[in-house]
Amino acid sequence: MSPIHHAGRELDSAAGMTIFDYADSLSVRVPTSCGRSGECHECIVEVRSGMEGLTPPTESERFLRGGYRLACQAAVAEVDADVEFAVLRRQPRILTRSVRRRTAPAPLTERRGSGVYFGEERVDAYRDGIYGLAVDVGTTTVALNVVDLERAEVVHTASFENPQRFGGSDVMHRISYDGGEHSGELRRVMLSAINFEVGEVCRRLGIHRRRIYEAVFVGNSTMRDIVFGVDVQSIGEKPYKSLTEVELEAGERSTTALEVRARDLDLRIFPGANVYSPPLVGCHVGSDVTADLMAVGMNEQDDAVMLVDVGTNTEVVVGNRLRMMAASCPAGPAFEGGAITYGMPGYDGAVEAVGLSEDGAPVRYETIGGAPAEGICGSGLVDLLSELRRTGRMNELGAFNDGAGEFYFAPDRDMYVSRADLSALAQAKSANFCGQWIVLRRYGITPEEVSRLYLAGGFANYVDAGHAVSIGFIANVPEERVAKVGNASLEGATIMLTSGRAREAAEELVRRIEHVELETAPDFFDIFVEGCMFKPMQMPRASTGAAAP
Amino acid sequence: MEAHLPETPYMTTQHAGLEKEIRYVTKPFEVKHIRSLFEGTDPIMHEIAFNLISGDQVEVDRLTREALARGFEANAVLDDGLIAGMAVVGIKFRDNIIFVPEVLIAARAMKAGMAYIEPILSESGVEPVGTVIMGTVKGDLHDIGKNLCIMMLRGAGFVVHDLGVDTKPEEFIDAVLEHGAQVLGMSALLTTTMPNMGRAIEAFEAEGLREEVSIMVGGAPVTQEFAEDMGADGYGKDAIACVDMARALVGVRDGSAPLETAAGAREASS
Repeated sequence: MSPIHHAGRELDSAAGMTIFDYADSLSVRVPTSCGRSGECHECIVEVRSGMEGLTPPTESERFLRGGYRLACQAAVAEVDADVEFAVLRRQPRILTRSVRRRTAPAPLTERRGSGVYFGEERVDAYRDGIYGLAVDVGTTTVALNVVDLERAEVVHTASFENPQRFGGSDVMHRISYDGGEHSGELRRVMLSAINFEVGEVCRRLGIHRRRIYEAVFVGNSTMRDIVFGVDVQSIGEKPYKSLTEVELEAGERSTTALEVRARDLDLRIFPGANVYSPPLVGCHVGSDVTADLMAVGMNEQDDAVMLVDVGTNTEVVVGNRLRMMAASCPAGPAFEGGAITYGMPGYDGAVEAVGLSEDGAPVRYETIGGAPAEGICGSGLVDLLSELRRTGRMNELGAFNDGAGEFYFAPDRDMYVSRADLSALAQAKSANFCGQWIVLRRYGITPEEVSRLYLAGGFANYVDAGHAVSIGFIANVPEERVAKVGNASLEGATIMLTSGRAREAAEELVRRIEHVELETAPDFFDIFVEGCMFKPMQMPRASTGAAAP
Repeated sequence: MEAHLPETPYMTTQHAGLEKEIRYVTKPFEVKHIRSLFEGTDPIMHEIAFNLISGDQVEVDRLTREALARGFEANAVLDDGLIAGMAVVGIKFRDNIIFVPEVLIAARAMKAGMAYIEPILSESGVEPVGTVIMGTVKGDLHDIGKNLCIMMLRGAGFVVHDLGVDTKPEEFIDAVLEHGAQVLGMSALLTTTMPNMGRAIEAFEAEGLREEVSIMVGGAPVTQEFAEDMGADGYGKDAIACVDMARALVGVRDGSAPLETAAGAREASS
């Protein structure tokens, strides 16, 4: 009899037991809300091996592709198979450090006497508090803040893995998936997951979910529109625009911001709660970047600054309060744990920092939570690449100077990066590079002229800025000007949750942003090739002028 | 009969760097072919090939100009320098000795040399291996992989007309007719735009032109199965496979060793 594995633990398998049963025995929390009938689609698990030993997918699993199953449906059929599964909703590391801008709250929802008012509308009788919900829906990770609106204070922050991964790891695959026969499924699992998380948070805080009277959602154009049930097919093809943007241009709406009631969204908070999403910047650059800009106070910047929100899709904005340019770079998941042999997101056990020495001393590495290494995450990869270069082990093209095919970053755990991994990382890095390079050139400034580089999102908060500069992952802005702003999208969403004025400022701001289409630069190929090299970014010293392509 | 290959590779060139590169080629028939490319050619061609393989665009640029100034035919510089170098790059890539970034800088170096060669060739009317139209389909702006294919195709002696990105079906049709191309290559990098390949093929059918041209497709999300479903004549999983496919489609049987669409060839993620 072969065992069933989960996160390094194992159990003997027995025919007929579902993965959910095993999760119970291992005390692994798997979300569900339908009594394990296959209806809620929340208990998605990734089957890493032994799929052939499980019962065939049932009717309720038809929406899943590849190595994913519903834990309540997949049962052991072949006791000799070695089955390994992983729960999708692992707890990502929560970004706690972020810019806390002191914005004077100007809440839209407030208590007046015995009532709760949204603007001039009395929506409910005041009971025991007024709360709000800010959600950043990322392609890989979802983060949320529960805010006490009476005190304008964040009372809880939570985050979880985006449950839509079965629909592909990047937005383009999700758009294709949503255009197929299971249209609407992505929205459904996302809302289920958010409702589940809100329930957990409310339980922990001891508040009723109906005390949440307002919500702000931000996300890239695709993620946001999926949540709001807006057809995303137009984002999948040039000119890559949200339906809301198309309608804005046609004069059919005055903003790409969205506003609905919670009940219309199946969001289980106060049913009449106002749910708002700020305007999109344009094309793939969504309301998450609008929120970023609010978090770093772009509407007050006089000198040119640069914002880089690193992720599966990296966004770049250069400018000041009067004039901005933005671009979206499809970097792919290489630095987020995808497509790399031992890559993983920033969970416990991920190698997050690496140090090498020239004299052959062993590799020094640190993992998140000090757990045994399970893989390597983005900040660890940036360290590793930079150290391989600094110690002369790797050339700028990602070839090992000793001719080896791989380098063991955690020899005790038999984990390495291969040349194919380095090739994938070079291309992902180049997407980030191209975005920064082309937008800086279009704007007409060099990295030296950037007064502040705000590094936002995902693993960027844990990245060694010097190392990131040394491999050209970020522009070579002097290190002291690099400010890590954590989950700026969530921060910006929170600001807009507590201030109607901030929403107006966001509307103002997006009108001053020009969207730059990277691939249409005539020398895109040459820039991309340059960006594939692990070396600091070099731009012509003198300003190239705003007229350059 | 060819002379028996000695244990130690014999030298075809006086260029130590190039000799080292040639040693990465190990299959006997390929060794023979690659050596024949460099046999008896001028040292400057070896210098061009070596710098192309190393990805040094500045040197390739300089040497190409120098060779032309010294009176070498553009065709000779192309065949004996650039193409010969690219042949080695192709084999190294297929055999996992080099990866995408190294192929990209070689392609960039090739582009630097081609900037001088192409205008001369297009005036002189030299007979090409074949004429290919290449473009990324409608709705899609990605062209790194397609550009790599174009470099490799030019490196194999094809005349390639690049329609760039976001190409409508009628633009493909017009270009095929205008240039009398035997092969059309379409690329898509997005799952969302991939179906537009099929739509372009349907447009050729609707115009009654499907028999006039062979159509090959490629790009990260494209598969052999998908290519067959939409009625393409060929699919290439990477730039090497693209060249092999184009050669097969125009019926090249010139005895030179083909770069097989080997099982070992990997995906050139674009």
